[in-house]
Amino acid sequence: MTDNAGSEQTHNPTIALTVAWILERDRDGWRRARQRAASALRSACHRASRIPERPFVCMIRVQTLSHTYKPESGRPITALRDVSLTIQPGEYVAIIGRNGSGKSTLAKHLNALLLPSAGRVTVDDMDTRATAHTWDIRSRVGMVFQDPDNQIVATVVEEDVAFGPENLGVPRDGIIQRIDEALRSVGLHEHRQRAPHLLSAGQRQRVAIAGVLAMRPRYLVLDEATAMLDPRGRRAVLDIARKLHEAGMAIIHITHFMEEAAEADRVIVLDDGEVALDSPTRAVFAHAGELQRLGLGLPPVARLAHRLHLTYPEVPAGWLTVDELVADVAGQHFDNERFYTEFEAQTSFSRTPLGNSINPQTRCEANRHRQETAPVIVVENLPHTYMAGTPLETTALQDVNLTVEQDEIVGLIGPTGSGKSTLLQHLNGLLRPQAGCVTVNGVDLTNPKLDLRQVRRTVGLLFQQPEDQLFERYVGDDIAFGPQARGLSLDEQRERVRWAMEAVGLDFEGFKDRLTFTLSGGERRKVALAGVLALRPRVLVLDEPTAGLDPASHREFLDWLTRFHQEASVPVVIATHNMDDIAQIADRVYVLAEGRTVASGTPREVFAQSQTLAGHGLGVPSTLEVMGRLRARGLAVRPDALTIEEAVAEIERVWIQDRRPVTLHNGAASNE
Amino acid sequence: MNEYNFLANVTIGQHLPTGSALHRLDPRAKLLAFTLLVGVVSFTPTFSGNVVLLVVIAGLFAAARISFVYALRGLRPLLPWIAAFGVFQLLFTSGGGFIGATDCRPLSDWWIIGITTCSVKLVLVSTLRFFALYLLVGLLTFTTTTTELSHGAERLLSPLARFGVPAHELALVLTIALRFVPTLAQETERLVKAQVSRGADFGAGSRWRFVQRTRQMLPLLVPLFLNSLRRAEVLTQAMEARCYGGGQGRTHLIEVESTFWDYVALLGTALLCLLMLTTDFASLDSWLAHPTL
Repeated sequence: MTDNAGSEQTHNPTIALTVAWILERDRDGWRRARQRAASALRSACHRASRIPERPFVCMIRVQTLSHTYKPESGRPITALRDVSLTIQPGEYVAIIGRNGSGKSTLAKHLNALLLPSAGRVTVDDMDTRATAHTWDIRSRVGMVFQDPDNQIVATVVEEDVAFGPENLGVPRDGIIQRIDEALRSVGLHEHRQRAPHLLSAGQRQRVAIAGVLAMRPRYLVLDEATAMLDPRGRRAVLDIARKLHEAGMAIIHITHFMEEAAEADRVIVLDDGEVALDSPTRAVFAHAGELQRLGLGLPPVARLAHRLHLTYPEVPAGWLTVDELVADVAGQHFDNERFYTEFEAQTSFSRTPLGNSINPQTRCEANRHRQETAPVIVVENLPHTYMAGTPLETTALQDVNLTVEQDEIVGLIGPTGSGKSTLLQHLNGLLRPQAGCVTVNGVDLTNPKLDLRQVRRTVGLLFQQPEDQLFERYVGDDIAFGPQARGLSLDEQRERVRWAMEAVGLDFEGFKDRLTFTLSGGERRKVALAGVLALRPRVLVLDEPTAGLDPASHREFLDWLTRFHQEASVPVVIATHNMDDIAQIADRVYVLAEGRTVASGTPREVFAQSQTLAGHGLGVPSTLEVMGRLRARGLAVRPDALTIEEAVAEIERVWIQDRRPVTLHNGAASNE
Repeated sequence: MNEYNFLANVTIGQHLPTGSALHRLDPRAKLLAFTLLVGVVSFTPTFSGNVVLLVVIAGLFAAARISFVYALRGLRPLLPWIAAFGVFQLLFTSGGGFIGATDCRPLSDWWIIGITTCSVKLVLVSTLRFFALYLLVGLLTFTTTTTELSHGAERLLSPLARFGVPAHELALVLTIALRFVPTLAQETERLVKAQVSRGADFGAGSRWRFVQRTRQMLPLLVPLFLNSLRRAEVLTQAMEARCYGGGQGRTHLIEVESTFWDYVALLGTALLCLLMLTTDFASLDSWLAHPTL
């Protein structure tokens, strides 16, 4: 493939995008750049036509595609059946579906990583089966995968971005130009000389995107590219996708997050290898019941709208984003100007004080003396520095405070790098306190003579992606690992395995002799969880337990956790990026940022401090966002509605006061 | 302080940009010099010769402005293995087949265990050699970025491509291997912590009980291996998705250029090697063994 640098300037969306960014304040310049990019893309496609006499089809076209995996042993697995769809240049399409529905398999057909078992896939009129077109197709359809670590090939950012153009045989000057534009497009230009492993996961994923953009694709496939990122990293990736889309690039976004799918113009739902729904986004999310049946759900805002619609049929059900809902509710019924000023005057509703509720004078000693009333976990003024005294010294924790009571589910939120994992590792003695104080079940972990194995038995810690840690051939053996290491008798081991498996909802007889590697991802996660529960922990500590689960498994897990917490009366500490989860299940929340506890309290108290949270790149549950935005528009709703029920009640309350002067009802203050 | 902090103990493979003259050399020159030095270490069978080489290497560290002690610290986790290896050599070889072996006298002869002056010398020389090789590899990685290394290797080997030497592939394998060192180290740490949380007991028992310690590693090694295979599979697809199809027709972002100083460095190394191979260290050794004034 040749790189005719002259003409390519104009028909490349990334360049146009960069130009537009420089002119960002200039609205006309931005629009002109977009139009130029879009028309250039169209003509580029036509110029590339190899068969001029035939009408040229400028799109991705999937025709009755089937795909069957044929493992060397075992039955062949049909991943796709008779899938037909087209993707137009410049479209923004989301593909959703439960785990194992064939989303990734479909994606890999779009750039000839997989070839059809039956049917046909063409990209801009090039058949993916024609090997002569393979490189052309792959440079047109760029693909970003889930884990950034598995797609970066070089040890320096710019060299990784160069990998694609190097493969295409672009001359050196052209490579430099492409690196420049690609890194500018993802906002990482100043990091071009750094080593990828020193960047955050979100930044690494942007490096991966830049690596794909450097090939100057026309279609960008994001295969669950946001699944492993924190809210800030996800937002950055979505913003890049949005801007590329505006510059004329087609985005095909595969995701488990319904609110991300809601940002697309069109949604394709796959179920068991078939297209279940393929419509404009609004139409797809109008099928609430159907989506539920397919193991999916509605984005939180749409859930809210749906509930409102049930009570008030005159409310349109189709709201998908906070903007739409707020504009509709606030715009239709209220005189914004007047309420806005009124709102401004009264925003000084009382704030929950920041910081911990513990008296800072309390020391470890004090806690040990009143054991029967003491909390299960007490962490006070805990710092932690990794690799102290080496050139790689990093401070993970500066000053952290945390208490967990016997009957609580405590949530832990914070951006990547805030020290959440470091804190969790102190709770079961994987890390020893360097200073400060950690007490668990009345045991003082600062005691240097303490046998930490005792602590680890009483605190079950489930790591991120726990399914990766299974190592035995058989499910039962793997779960028995903990009890066996403790030296329990075979009968007792068996009893514990049975109990743990039943606790997580795996049938003991049905699963104990299954091979671990034949299980699905969700089942493997349950096995890993059972492996921790088999230690009969008195405290359960979970790090990102819902990451990567599809909506149905996600709901199922949260329900399970609440039930288990109550039935087994085990206190739970859960670290997560998902604010809606916290709002739903946590009794109290701690917010960590830069190694400090920056806020704590009930979810209601903590999420009321949306400014603090936003300052650390954290969001609030979607209902709170809606409430906040409605208040900003002057509606007298309470700002702290945590659940959809509360939000609906609040909107109902102000709704019936339609067009009457509403005095700003101070919900937050009366609540305390 | 932290029992599971693997990276803290691994010094080799890090790049320490102190900006010395050694850092600025053409990677090709450094690789050639490195090969020559490795060669001369391997072909120096004498005790005093190896001591001289270690002194030379220490001098190179000084030239690179890198602490020699820092580099030696990385050897610590390997000491039990070196010691075990030494004991085996001492007990179960006569040292007779060893190039430097002359004038072997038995020191003890009981059952199959025969310690001779030659096996003592063998142990000393191979330990010194191991240190020298370890330090040389360290010096190379401390002063050269991994990309410089792989590009240097690729360019050095490319003339051999016509004889079927996969120069490009080797360089790519090297880059990817180095790229995944921190990733796998992190993953190992995570797995160790996860298994310890389930009651695993890595590092229990003595550091010298190899079989027990190796068995304890299974809950770590099995998932690590499986995850690496999975990563490799995804990486292959990600590379293919970015149009990777072998070295043919590829262009390069990084270009390497030689300067006058590269030739000086190479010439210097070659002279040193010549000197090392022609000097009669063997008689120095026997003088050390029986000092006569």
